[in-house]
Parts: sequence; structure tokens; C-alpha cells
Amino acid sequence: MNSIIITRAGTHSTIQDFGRFQYQHLGVSPSGAMDQRIITELQKIIPNHQNQFLEFAYVGPSIKVKEGSVKICVGGNCNMSIQKNNNSQLECQPYKSINLFEGDELIIHNTIDSVYGYIAFEHGLGLEPCLNSYSTDTKAGIGSINRPLNDKDIFHISKDVSSWDLISIPKPDLEKVTNFKVYPGPQLQYFSDNTLQSFISGVFTITNQSDRMGIRLKGESLISSQSHDILSEGILPGSIQVPSDGQPIVLMRDIPCTGGYPKIAILNEVDISRISQLPPETKITFDLQTIY
Amino acid sequence: MYFKGINSYGDRGLVLDFGNETSKSISQEVNEAFLNISNLNLQSLNIIPSFNKIVVIFENSKIRDQNKDKISMKMKDTNPQTNKKVTKTWEIPACYNEDFALDIKIIQKLHKITKEEVINLHSSIRYYTYYIGFMPGFPYLGDVPSQLITPRLATPRVKIPARSIGIAKNHTCIYPKVSPGGWNIIGQIPFDIFDLQSSYPSLFLPGDEVKFYSVSLSEFEKIRKYNFSLNELIKEYSS
Repeated sequence: MNSIIITRAGTHSTIQDFGRFQYQHLGVSPSGAMDQRIITELQKIIPNHQNQFLEFAYVGPSIKVKEGSVKICVGGNCNMSIQKNNNSQLECQPYKSINLFEGDELIIHNTIDSVYGYIAFEHGLGLEPCLNSYSTDTKAGIGSINRPLNDKDIFHISKDVSSWDLISIPKPDLEKVTNFKVYPGPQLQYFSDNTLQSFISGVFTITNQSDRMGIRLKGESLISSQSHDILSEGILPGSIQVPSDGQPIVLMRDIPCTGGYPKIAILNEVDISRISQLPPETKITFDLQTIY
Repeated sequence: MYFKGINSYGDRGLVLDFGNETSKSISQEVNEAFLNISNLNLQSLNIIPSFNKIVVIFENSKIRDQNKDKISMKMKDTNPQTNKKVTKTWEIPACYNEDFALDIKIIQKLHKITKEEVINLHSSIRYYTYYIGFMPGFPYLGDVPSQLITPRLATPRVKIPARSIGIAKNHTCIYPKVSPGGWNIIGQIPFDIFDLQSSYPSLFLPGDEVKFYSVSLSEFEKIRKYNFSLNELIKEYSS
């Protein structure tokens, strides 16, 4: 038996996969990794990841091997090191697999100029799926683990490391995008041409009131010419909704399942991953596409 | 037919539009269409009904575009419906004891009626489940009698107790879990209505009918102690 212990959980560490689907009509959010590009890359290095990825934000976790050995790989842009069981320090890099042995501790210090990072574990973390997904929705209390990770959490990995070979891939080109192409939202017509012009020409700042549910923006006030209160209807991640204060919110992976604010526009799928990596104070702009 | 047409929602979603009004008959058409589309077994990620819309979400625009015509065809299909009646009718015990009825006085004051009148009115109606949303297993039920129609609280409560019954505008609801929220709380039910361990995690489904009946605090506690599983509840309280 192999096991690991979380020696420092960090503040926003959760288990995620590609999302929980087919339950939104019962009020269950899709959740899933904020930056799905990264876990897609990690699959190339740890093919047998069992869809049990550890997501962290800003401050990374520290993980110590309690028993046996494990193979892992980190994805994202982060500072990290390994404290070996003989007390020596070892340099390590994202997107390169790492073999950790009993007593070794992986320390992820922080993400650099980005928000989210991920760890893939060979053979997963011994978790059972919840409604066909391993993702955690902390607000609804749903998931294989229905809360953020805590210090001293222990995971058992029953299978042994398949081979000591180390695999690496070139650091993926996850370019930083701050100008987003968006498509018309279902309530685009709730906004006058002047307001739409402010939306397209305005600069919006990502605020620190942003999390897995939504990214709150600060900028030009987008007041609807009709109403900021619509009948609740189904929503999907990437939608840009505008409450009555006129400050837009980009809905992210832990969306409420239905929403009652008008949606001016919507991002495409890959841009949800891109925008998730922009730290507070980043300035962004929108480019409204007319097709779709 | 209230169905107006299908619109795009970004690069990977569709919205089926049933107009801007709400009514039970619109909702019945929405929920019928929801079943019909679900039965097509499309490669969709989620199909989300609400009062007068159905949102269908796909993995990408290519799959969305491939499936749009199938949905269109199904919506145009005028053959008599073959859906068996799958909706249920529920008789749900409700305790309107003052310990649970945190906001019942607001409704009494607004409509100048007694507590007993609120209880009798609320438990007199066979409600219709418009849809499930806001949080896992949360049913939007309606319509409440006109003497109970009450706006949301001006300041939402930070922590509404689990299993609370609420009223907002012309709808009533049950909060499956502890939650922040703005509905006027008038009572509590004695069992959980959402259970992740069950193969059907939500007790209520869109289109189900729900009737509350008033129970005393001691009856409430007796049922609460029994600790029903969802499967037992389905046997016990549906008809």
C-alpha cells in the first residue's frame, strides 16, 4: 500500500476532473477544473490519472509520501521543490513526471503570474466518484471529497508505480489572453447600443472577489435598458451576467444552475480556462462576435 | 403550443424559447419537451428546463450544430405524445410550528390574516413542480393562493435551516440544505429531499405535484427520528 499525507493544504485546494454532467436539471453544478487545458496536458504524462486531479490556487499544497512510493506530475506555472527523505533539496519542474519515495515531500510554493495549478497522480487518489464525477463543489457540498482539502488529509494509492521512467513534455504554450472574443448572450437585446459600445470599448478589471463560481469585474457600468431581473433560466459557464449594479460577472465552473440576471455575452469554452488564470487587477477587454 | 423557436447560446448552447410568460400550462409543455429531448439520447452535457425555457448544452459547437436539427424535428413532431405519465404526486408533512416559521408574521401582517389562515391556505393547494434549480434538489413549486403572495425578504437570510419551507412571490419551495436565501420561511419538513447516495438523488422531479399537510411538533419529531431513505420516502409519500 502507498499513501500520501497533505502536510499543507493551501487555501483553495480541491479535487477536480473534467466536470459533472447530466445533473444540472436537478440543481447540480457542472464544476470541474478551472483550467481544463492543463489537465488535458497532464493526461499525456500520467495517462492513468483516474480523473482525480488536485487543483490549487495561488498557494500550492505540500504533500509527503507516508508509505511506499508514488508517481506524480504538476501542471501550471509554479515554484516548487522536493525535500528528499535525506533532507537534501531537489529542483523540479512542472510537466515532468516525478517519483516520490517514503519521506519525500513535494512543496508547491505558489503559482507565478497565474492562479490555478494541478497535480496528477498515477492510479489516482483512491477516491470513489460522486454522481459520476470526482469534482468537488464546495458550496453544494458535493464530491468524492465534499470540501476543500485540509492539512493531514491522507490518500491511499493501492497500485504501485508502474515504471521509474520519467516523462516530460515541452511546457505547453498557454498564452496569456486579455482580449476575449465573446458571443451574444441570450439577453443581449436588454442593453442599448450605447451600453454595448461601452462593453466593447471599455476596459474591465478582475477584482479579488473572484472564485470558482464567478469572476467579478469592475469597469464601465452596464445598465440594462429593460431590467436586471429576468425569470430564472438555465445558464452555462462563461456567461457574462449583469446584476443591477451594472458590474459584470463571468460565471465559472461552480455556476448556480439557473440564473435571474440578464446575460450580455458568453465566452467560448477555451476562454473560460484562459480567463481563470488571470489574477486580480488584470485588465481585460471584450470583442463581440456577431455570428452564433 | 407555446414553443417559439430555438436560439443559440454562445458557441455550445441552445435555448428553446416558450415565450416570456409563466403558467402551469407553459411549464407542462416545457417539461413534456424536456422528457422528449432527454429521450433522444443526444450527446448533450446538460438539459436544463426552467419556467419558459430549456437550455441544452453540448461539449462544442460542432456537436451542438449536429444535434440542433434533431431537436427541431422533435419539437415539430405533432404525433400524439407517447410519454407515459412519469410524474408523481407527493403528500408532504409540514410543521408550521413557530420554531420553524421564522417569517410567517410578515405574511400575516401583509395580508392581514391569522397564522391558522396562512397554514390552511398553504396546505390547501396541490402545487406543481415548475423545475429544480438554485441548489441541488430545490423545487420551485406553485402557485400559492393569492392571499399568500409575498415579495422576497429585503435582506436575504445568511443561513436558512435545512428542510425549511419558503414563500417568495407566487412560489413556494423547500430548501434541501442549509443555505443563504431570501424566501419567507413558514415551516419545515421532517426529512431530506436530496441524497447523493440514491440512484435518483432528488425526491422531486419537474412536473411532480406536491401537497403539504400540517403536522404537530411531536408528529414532526417522530417522522424526523425515523430517518427515511429516499427510496423509503418514495414508497411512503407518493401516490
